[in-house]
Parts: sequence; structure tokens; C-alpha cells
Amino acid sequence: MQRIKFIDRMASGRVSRRQMMQAAGAFGVGALVLPRRSVAAEVLTCLEWGGYDSPDYFQPYVAKYGAQPNFSIFAGEEDALAKVLAGFAADVMHPCNYSVARFVNAGVAKEIDTARLSHWADVFPSLQAAEGVVMDGKVVMAPADWGNSSIAYRPDLMPPEFAQNPTWAIFYDEEYAGRVAMTDNEMAIVIGAMVGGMPYDEAYKLEGAALEAAAKEWGTKAVNTAKFLWNDSSEVQQAMASGEIVAAYAWNDLVANLRAEGIPVELAAPKEGMFTWFCGLTLLNTGKADEQAAYDFIDAWLSPETGKALIEGSGYGHANIKAFEIADPQAVANMGITDPVEMMKNTIVFKTPTDAVQEGFNKVWADTKALKY
Amino acid sequence: MRGKFNILWVYAGFFIIFLYGPVLLMPVFALNDGTFATFPLKGFTLKNFAAMAANTSMILAFQNSLKIAVFVAVLSTALAIPAALALTRFRLPGGAAIQSFMMLPLVIPSIVIAVALLVIILKILGIGLSLFTVAAGHVIVCLPFCISVLMSRLEGFDPSLEEASRDLGCGAWTTFWRLTFPLALPGVISSLLMGFIISFDEFVIAFFLTGTETTLPVYLFSQLRFPNKLPGVLALGSLILVGSALLVIAAEVIRKRGVASSNPGDF
Amino acid sequence: MTDTAASDPLAPARDREVLRRRLRGYGLLSPALSVTIAMLALPMAALFLLSFWTQSGFELDRTPTLANYAELVRPSAEPTVWFGIPFHLAYPVPAILMVKSLVMSLMATLAVIALAYPMAYFLAFRVHRHKALWIILITVPFWTSYLLRVFAWKVVLGFNGAINSGLKTLGIIDEPLEFLLYNPGAVVITLAHSWVAFAILPIYVSLEKIDRSLLEAASDLGDSRWQRFRRVTLPLSAPGTVAAALLVFIPTVGDYVTPTLVGGPGGTMIGNLVQDLFLKQNNAPLGAAVAITMMGIIAVLVALFLWAIGYARIRSRRL
Repeated sequence: MQRIKFIDRMASGRVSRRQMMQAAGAFGVGALVLPRRSVAAEVLTCLEWGGYDSPDYFQPYVAKYGAQPNFSIFAGEEDALAKVLAGFAADVMHPCNYSVARFVNAGVAKEIDTARLSHWADVFPSLQAAEGVVMDGKVVMAPADWGNSSIAYRPDLMPPEFAQNPTWAIFYDEEYAGRVAMTDNEMAIVIGAMVGGMPYDEAYKLEGAALEAAAKEWGTKAVNTAKFLWNDSSEVQQAMASGEIVAAYAWNDLVANLRAEGIPVELAAPKEGMFTWFCGLTLLNTGKADEQAAYDFIDAWLSPETGKALIEGSGYGHANIKAFEIADPQAVANMGITDPVEMMKNTIVFKTPTDAVQEGFNKVWADTKALKY
Repeated sequence: MRGKFNILWVYAGFFIIFLYGPVLLMPVFALNDGTFATFPLKGFTLKNFAAMAANTSMILAFQNSLKIAVFVAVLSTALAIPAALALTRFRLPGGAAIQSFMMLPLVIPSIVIAVALLVIILKILGIGLSLFTVAAGHVIVCLPFCISVLMSRLEGFDPSLEEASRDLGCGAWTTFWRLTFPLALPGVISSLLMGFIISFDEFVIAFFLTGTETTLPVYLFSQLRFPNKLPGVLALGSLILVGSALLVIAAEVIRKRGVASSNPGDF
Repeated sequence: MTDTAASDPLAPARDREVLRRRLRGYGLLSPALSVTIAMLALPMAALFLLSFWTQSGFELDRTPTLANYAELVRPSAEPTVWFGIPFHLAYPVPAILMVKSLVMSLMATLAVIALAYPMAYFLAFRVHRHKALWIILITVPFWTSYLLRVFAWKVVLGFNGAINSGLKTLGIIDEPLEFLLYNPGAVVITLAHSWVAFAILPIYVSLEKIDRSLLEAASDLGDSRWQRFRRVTLPLSAPGTVAAALLVFIPTVGDYVTPTLVGGPGGTMIGNLVQDLFLKQNNAPLGAAVAITMMGIIAVLVALFLWAIGYARIRSRRL
């Protein structure tokens, strides 16, 4: 018995050796087919949000250079910054108004010469001068996409009283426990403080004991009330579409996407205020590509055609006024925006806290979540 | 005998349902005519597959992942075989310490490995990020898995077989090919499979170590920001599922016909 | 082996033979070892050094200090109570998350082993044809991406998901069950599903190599099937099972993606904290200290576990 097995194995040994050769061959092939690292250092390298690497958003650049730039995808400004600080050579980065200061303070951003951007004149004047676009008198970010952060809710599942008097308080109200989703972000504390009566201008820069008290009260409430704290749009939109949650902190794209599926949804204008964020492109001093390519890329992002694609494709706003003129009016209406200039005036534009304040917020928010079981 | 036989088969049935049930929802919703994966289903469509086929960056990411996974599986296994042999066949002073050291990547949170490797690759070695850096990171993570699997296969084989082989005049190399390797073969296959799966699915390290070419998990993660792209992603997931199942079955059919390969590990 | 009598005339030759074998052993180890050293020792050393530094903003202060470790154990008179356990610490978050992660990982490991062992047994002893096919069938779901599998689980467990819709269609429930998703149970199920293939492989491998004649001998000696399992199969498959348990337990302690995605607001784990400290709180040194402490705790737990089950004995018995 034992001997037969042994012979059997010896026999299969011959087969295996051949297989090993195949495997070795595959190994060699693997080494060959794995693409070499790009030697062409002059290709523009962009650090970009996932999904924003679509050529729809920089068509003029593709038209001029005949190819797309290289992209490196990030999920949050922190990991993009970590990569740049570690020495990753990127030319352009896509931060938002509340995070651009981190790049400037870390010493990796450089001033943008707006004269080199052909579409700069068409950018909303309020955005041209906004905090985050301009820092210490220098333009450090060319604003491109913007949107609102507010409460999206299912009118068919929420009590009608809410529609008449929408408020952020539902995210801290036990009555809504397990039926709402907050963003996984320290905004939960800021908004809580606003529900408690503090104006945004004070709430966004809470520090020290006041911050800890706000985190303990509002952060804990937010964590306990939320069904989940969302990290990506798919997560919150899926849950809202299924009725798992009836209201959520959301961006405009949620409304556009759910309506496209025939699901009733509204973007509320809460009494404490709705927010406007905007993101844009920042020149990094770590890049190796020709600076003109970087400017061309930024300019492409500012073009009205890009704005049209953005408004119609994802339901976000665009910095170029002309984009709203050429975009499908229905898509603009779906965003819940009739007059962009007016809207920007009536909402709270996110502000940039100092690095120390931001770190403090990050810490208390992480600590608050940790205590939940 | 019968009774136990049946219970295990029933269990195996349930197990396969547990394993496949959730993933089979991917084709269901890939064929569903709606952005969101909710019941009731809305109707049949193939448009998601068309969208997927048109999505060149996703296909590219998929190819990158495949290449890296094959490369990593083979390299990790090739490194792990001699290491597992040494750790099981030779009483080496310090062997236990060396083994623990090589198991370290299991204990380190992958975010820490990722950030540390990022700094070392860019700052100290001065190499640009590429698919190679991702593969290198993956080899480190896969090695402990491969070594463990191979060791549990090699441990406890009667060493006298190998001695007998040498006594019969076979050299060390012949003994390895004719005896040890065939004995270890199931372990080698498991090791290749494990290396492949781990690398193909690894996200955190790939996220930090990719340069401008991305891997599938990183790409998929980025798509989560745009829910309307999700059905196309599900379509790719379904195709991978069906494709790999077909490959497996085809490989088995070919093997049964008696054509060379009995090694299901190499596709 | 080493107790060779000094008078043995063959001793020098044997010593040479031992040395030769050792050299060969180290030689075989060297490729894997050098790769690990090259890719791991450097990051580890960096991590270790970092944990003795401090950071403010983007600036690292390289004066060596134990402050980061002290911060982890700094006592506080007023305990923070978490899940009924008082933590007498000024900064209790790492300790709480460590406990939470260990418990979660332990539950997932137990679930994985409970699911995987019978399946590995089935593969090793009941499947006689198409073995390779079966093994690969088990791994095929893992070729689809992890994020997609987590997504699929959300659809299974979700509000209008597969389970709820199925139960509603069958008339068993009227309202969707809401306790399926976004809780620790969902994390354990999802983790178990993700890791089960990694456990089946080593267990199967160790069951497969059990010499069938041993089992026959046990039966011949009058052991019942259960006795035979307990006295032969289980001990002989122990190394593979222990390896499987460790392969699942150790990495899941540091996993933070699954809990974040399906665990609801309580899904924060020690891995999240490390990531947060590194990337968001600009406190990489403290993050390094947390990571090193976590690694130390895991190492101690694993050593205790192996010692408790007498792993060394199990191994040596078989050689």
C-alpha cells in the first residue's frame, strides 16, 4: 500500500517538475509583463479624487496634448498629503477650501498666476476671492467644483413637520436613532454646536475645553443617533434608496442620483443653515512636468464644458458662471439651485480652521467614536 | 457511516451557499436596471456590461491587479518553499526567532507597513512608485501566509523517506524534485492560491504604494464616490466570478482528459 | 543530538555533518529572510525610532522620549467606563479600542474555525474526486474584490436586502429587521466570510497528510468514530488548525476596513486609531507607539495561547 503510494508520488513528481518549469516561466513572464515605471517624467501627474480622473472633466487638455495626464487616486486629503510629503512627485492636486491650507502650511503648494488661466475671468467673483482660494494675498487654489452640504431626506418617510421646519437637530435626537446617517467627520460636532445655538463662525474654531465639551455632548449624541457614519457617497445613497435611513447629511449628487431613479428625495434648507464647499486645483512644487501643462490642466478644469459635464453627470456645481448657462436646466434644477450667485450668498461657506484646530477636531472626533460600542 | 457522510455533505452544501450567496448578488444587480442595489428588482438590462466594457481605466486596473497577483503568488511561493523546508527539516539554532520575525508582517497593521514603505521607497531608496512597489509590498504581506501553509504541509512527513532517497544515491536536488516537492505539492498549490488572493484583494498597501497606475481594489474604492458607476463595477465583479469559475471547470475538464497539467494552481 | 559522548570516535564527523546541515538550512532560509529584512527591518526600525520622538504640526522633534508610551498608561483618578469596564486612564481610547479589537477578532476567529474545520474535514475525507476543483471553488468568491464582497453583504443584510425581502415575501415578517446590519454581528459575519478560505487551506493541508493507515489502525483497535476523531484526527490536524486560527486572528486585530463599512457608528477599531494618528491628527509618533504596543500585546497573547495548548509538544510529537 505504502509502496504504491510512493511510486504514485514519484510518478506525479515528473509531472510536477514540468509544472514547476511552467511556473518558473510564468515568473519570468510576470517580470517582463509588469509595466516598467514610467520614464517619461514630463507627463503631468495629478493627485485626484477617485472618479474625477474622467476625461470629461479636462477635455481641452486632452485635445491639446493628445493624451490624458497620469493620475494618482486618493480618498482623503490626508493620504494625498502623506504621499506628497513622503516624496511623491505630483504636479497638481485637488484639495478643497477647508483643506488647502494644510498643503500650503506643509510647504508643498505654490502660487497660481491667474493671468495664465483663460477661464479665470468667468469664475464666480465670490469664489475668486474666497478664503481658501486666496491665502495671504496669494491665489493658491483655482476653484473648480462646488456643492452644498445639507440634509437630504425622504419626504415620503419623514414626518411632514420636518419639511416645514427642517433642522439639523434630527441628527442628535433620540427619536431618529437608527434612521439617520451623519458623515464620518468632525462636522458632526460643529453642526451639533450650531444646533445648540452657537454660530458657525465660532463653532468651526472651537478649541480646548470648549471643544471637548462640545464633543462630549454633540459628538456622542451624533454617534449614538446615527445608523452609520458614512464615508462614501455610495454607502449613504444606497441606504437612502432602500429606506434604511430617512435623512442624511448629504451633497447635491445624492438628490440628483436618487431622483434619476424615481425615488422621492429633497434637499432641505435647515434653519441653522446649509453649507457650501468648494474644491479646486492647487499647483504643487514637487512636480517634474512642465508648468505650462499644469496650467493647461487647471484651465481645462475651469472650462464651461467641464462644468456642464460636472453638473449633468454628478450633480455638483462648477466655478465657471457660463457652465450654468450651457448646462441642461433640468440638471441645474435637480441640484436644488436656481440662482447660483444668490445661493452662495445664502449659505454658509466652509471655513478653513488652523492646523492646530483641525487636529484638535480630528482627535476629539476619533475619541468620541472610539467610546461607542 | 452513511449518516455522517450525509451530514457532512449537507454541511458542505450550506457552506457553499454561505460562500456564494452574497457574491451571486453581484450578477443579479449587474443585470438589474437600476443604480441602487435594492429589492424589488427593476428589470433586466445589459447596459451595465456595456458601460463596463467601455471603462478602459477599470479594465486596465483589473489587468494590473492580475499581473501583480500572479507575480506576487509565484515569487512569494518560490521564496517560501526553501524557507519552510529549512524551518521544518533542519534544527537550526535561532530558527524559532527567525520564524517569528518573518511572521511579523501579520502583526503590523497594514497602514503602518504602507506608510513606512512609502517613506522608505521614496525618500531613502529614491525609487518612483509603480506596480513593482505595490508587488514588493504584497510579497512582504504574503510571505508569512505562504510559509505557514507550506510548513503545515511539510511538518511531520517522515524524514526517513528523504534519508532513504539519499541513501539510494539521489542527490539533494533529485531528492527535492522527486520526493519533497511532490509531497509538498498540495501545500504549494495552496500557497500559490493564497498569495494570489491576498495580493489580488489587497487594498491598503496598494493604496499608498501605487503611483499613477492603479490596482483594481484601489480603483473600485475610488468609484464608491460615484454611486451611478457602481452597477458597472458590479458587472466587472460578476464577470470575474463567472470567468474564474469557468476557468476552474475548464482546467478540471482538461486535466480529466489526461492532458499534462494536474496542477490547478497554474492558469 | 547534542548529548554525544566525548569518547565517541565518530563525534567530529557528526559535528561536521550537523554544521553542514545547519549551513544548508540557513542557506535555504536566506532568500526569504533577506527579502523580509530588506523590506521589513527598515520600516520596523523606523517605526520603533518614531515611537520615541514627538511631533507638532508637520515638525518632528527627534529628542528621544518615552512620552508616547507614558501617554498610553497615564492613570486618571476618574475612570472612563466602557461597556461596564472602568478604564483608569487619562487617555483611555487606545486601551478601549485594543480590547474591542481583540474581542471582535477573537469572535471572528472562532466563527471562522467553526465554519472552516468541518469543511476542511469534508474536503480531506469525503471528497475523493475533483479535490482540486473543490478547493478552488472555495477560493473563487475571493477573486472578486473585497470591497464588492462587503457591498454584497450589505445588500444581503440591509433594510430592503436579500434576507429581509425574502422573509417579507414568505410572510414571516411585516417590517424589515433592522438589527442585521451595522452592528458587531455584521462585522463578525463579514469577517468570517472574508477569512474562511484562509483557514480552510491550512486545516485541509494538515488533515490531508494524516496517514490513513493510522485511522485504520485506530478503528482496528476498536475506537469508535468519535474516539478516533478525538484521539487521532484532531491532534494530528492541530498544527494546521492553530496556524489557521493565528492567520485569521492576528491580521483581523488590525483590520479596520470591514468594521468601518458594516459596523455602524461603533465600528472604530485600533487600526482606525493608528491610521487617524498617522494621517489626520499629525501625531505619527503616538501612532507608532500604539502600533508597537498593539504588536507587543498580540505577540504576548499568541505566545500565551501557544504555550497553553502546548504547541511545542504537538509539533515535537509528530517529528
